Amino acid sequence: GLVQSCGHIIPESPVLALGSNFTALCILNESCLDFGNIYASQIIWKIKNRVVPKEQYREINRTVSSVTFNDTSLLATPLTCNILADGQIEQNIYGITVTVGLAPEKPENLSCIVHQMARFTYDMTCTWNPGRHTFLDTQFRLRYSWPEETFPDCIPKDVNNSCTIADIQFFVNTEIWVEAANALGKAESDPLVVDPVDIVKPLSPQNVSVSSGALPNFLKLFWENWISDTVMTLKFNIRYKIVGDTDWMEVPLEDTASPRTSFGIQGLRPYTKYVFSIRCMKEDGLGYWSDWSEEKTGITAAD
Amino acid sequence: DSHIQYERVGADVTMKCGSMDWDAAVTWTANGTDIDESHLNGSYLILKNVDLSQSGQYSCYEGSSWHLKYQTYLRVGTPPKEPVLMCRSNNYPKGFYCSWHLPTPTYIPNSFNISVIHGTKDMVCEKDAVPKNRCHIRLLQLFSTVKYKVTLTVTNALGKNFTTLTFDEFAIVKPDPPESVVAKPVPNNPRRLEVSWQNPSSWPDPESFPLKFFLRYRPLILDQWQHVELSDGTSHTITDAYAGKEYIIQVAAKDTDIGTWSDWSVAVHATPWTEEPKHLTTEAQITETTSASTSSFMAPPTTKICDKGAVVGS
Amino acid sequence: LGAGQSIQQTYDLTRYLEHQLRTLAGTYLNYLGPPFNEPDFNPPRLARAERVPSATVDLDLWRGLTDNARLAANYRAYSRLLCYLRVLDGQVGTAELRHRLAHFCASLQGLVLSIGGVMSSLGYPLPAGPAGPPAPPGAPAAPNDFLKKMDDFWLLKELQIWLWRSAKDFNRLKKKVPPAVVTLRLEARGF
Repeated sequence: GLVQSCGHIIPESPVLALGSNFTALCILNESCLDFGNIYASQIIWKIKNRVVPKEQYREINRTVSSVTFNDTSLLATPLTCNILADGQIEQNIYGITVTVGLAPEKPENLSCIVHQMARFTYDMTCTWNPGRHTFLDTQFRLRYSWPEETFPDCIPKDVNNSCTIADIQFFVNTEIWVEAANALGKAESDPLVVDPVDIVKPLSPQNVSVSSGALPNFLKLFWENWISDTVMTLKFNIRYKIVGDTDWMEVPLEDTASPRTSFGIQGLRPYTKYVFSIRCMKEDGLGYWSDWSEEKTGITAAD
Repeated sequence: DSHIQYERVGADVTMKCGSMDWDAAVTWTANGTDIDESHLNGSYLILKNVDLSQSGQYSCYEGSSWHLKYQTYLRVGTPPKEPVLMCRSNNYPKGFYCSWHLPTPTYIPNSFNISVIHGTKDMVCEKDAVPKNRCHIRLLQLFSTVKYKVTLTVTNALGKNFTTLTFDEFAIVKPDPPESVVAKPVPNNPRRLEVSWQNPSSWPDPESFPLKFFLRYRPLILDQWQHVELSDGTSHTITDAYAGKEYIIQVAAKDTDIGTWSDWSVAVHATPWTEEPKHLTTEAQITETTSASTSSFMAPPTTKICDKGAVVGS
Repeated sequence: LGAGQSIQQTYDLTRYLEHQLRTLAGTYLNYLGPPFNEPDFNPPRLARAERVPSATVDLDLWRGLTDNARLAANYRAYSRLLCYLRVLDGQVGTAELRHRLAHFCASLQGLVLSIGGVMSSLGYPLPAGPAGPPAPPGAPAAPNDFLKKMDDFWLLKELQIWLWRSAKDFNRLKKKVPPAVVTLRLEARGF
């Protein structure tokens, strides 16, 4: 039997582009030739345990045999080099794993949103289209920088199309881009240059309360804004309906287009229970509406 | 000899009749009124546990000749308590003023002395003519981390006291309230009120030291204020005024970065625009209504007023 | 960004930093403990603390500063203050405070960049690197913990006051160079 390895294949465990062609060489050790009376012509290439058609072989010389695949999509792993010596049983010489895949495409549709997580905490989540499946271990990195200042990359966890950066900084134009890399290549998205303060989704107004109805058709809504006016000034969207109704009514946006912490709603029905909800966004319209606040009810006075 | 004698409230006061012997016959008067013999010990006048009402002119006359041998003006009062000192900059960055008062009157003349030290530098606090108990300091440096130390010493004949304030330049910046606050209805808009105001005239450089404002408003019939903070500009449109109700509105000011809010401005009142009630009015009234408030101009009714046939028949 | 827009952005960043510092300084002084967190604490300013760039300026001189001089003064100050703050950041005992200090340092770095951006957009040369290292080589660190804390106290106070000064500086500048682009964009949105 053969104790030492009698040959090897090059390249060793290649990563190949899908659809490209590929040639592997199986090189027999000289020492084995004397010992086992074996020649390159006796080599049998196999994919898994399927014999590769002989037409794809070529005997380079006494010790080297090559096999060529015009389309790697037919390839599978392992690719083995085996020898069938006279009067012997087929013997495996060497095997490699073959990985076939695609270079990453340029990530597209990069978009980011800054979520206000708490009163002073803002995390930026970016999403992108990762492009085609590459069949390979492809590393995505969200990268961001200022002129002369680069920050640690954001490495997505368990997904390949989004990443969240904690504690994003405001009021500095930030260049953001995505980098995808695998064994077959690297690709970068187009950069997004934005001041994170312009893509904020603020927390919804907090501690909403409705003043007890002293008037038959008028109720006052009060709330707290949990985003500092040094970050942004807000505009609001207020909706309300009679409890049990399905359709909401909205206060005209132009009436709530500036900073405030209260609003008087009138034209209500006397002695009726209303439910209110409010959301906010940056006053200049840049960024995203917050979620609707917690709903709060109030009853108008009897007439 | 005649002079002023200061004594504390509650003190026991003994007055000698000038150079007269103890056993000389004398007469004491207070503000011209003879004093009862019970207050005399020989020719000495004894006043026990004096109070404020015993301030006045005391005279001593020799028994037979009525020669005036001694006269004094007794001022009963108290030593000064620790004065209340307040420093404030309502004209930043020009300077700041300090004003003071005594928590309780002393009933006798007091003199005040104020010293202002910035780091190691003595600064002059120029007394204001009016009000008397105030002086102002010109800021020569800005944005200093060194605190100002102001010491006010008050002295009167019965004692002395002082108080010291140490503060940062920024802590005492408090503008005066906004001025010329005006609130007006917005024609054809029953829920809006337009409020405008001006920077306090005492604020010297709003361009370099802009103010931000706080506006509060409520219908007179309700107690709860609504507040709006405005980072710039000197006007605001209230968009949720309760239709037809009179509103009370006030504004306060603050430097955009430092210091504290001013007091509230003078309150102004305004009632949102309301649609003229649609009722049958005479031709004349229509013309008058038209000219009085173009905002409520309504096309005159086509049918003739008081055309009974037209009214009753329809 | 046009000059006007980057000045506005720098102004906004200054006020945001000042807002952050207000809570951060309070937390840090509480971390230092009494007497540093007492409102009337007024320690002497020793030599080391004197090296922190001072915001104090003569009123008339401040008013008369050219735009270039005004920006350069800010640029130099924050470049140096950043160095000091990074030294501070490295020694803090609690992770939460270290994290907030690191975030603040990044913001401050953003301010230095922004000021540099404004200067470039106005055609002014950037001042040569921060004027001198935080502490001259070989200068003795604070001999004891109390004096070290005093240095930190003065650093935070000076930084607070610089931010107030800068807010006024950039307010003046933004009134001289309005952000034209912003108004265009707003009009385009039908405001």
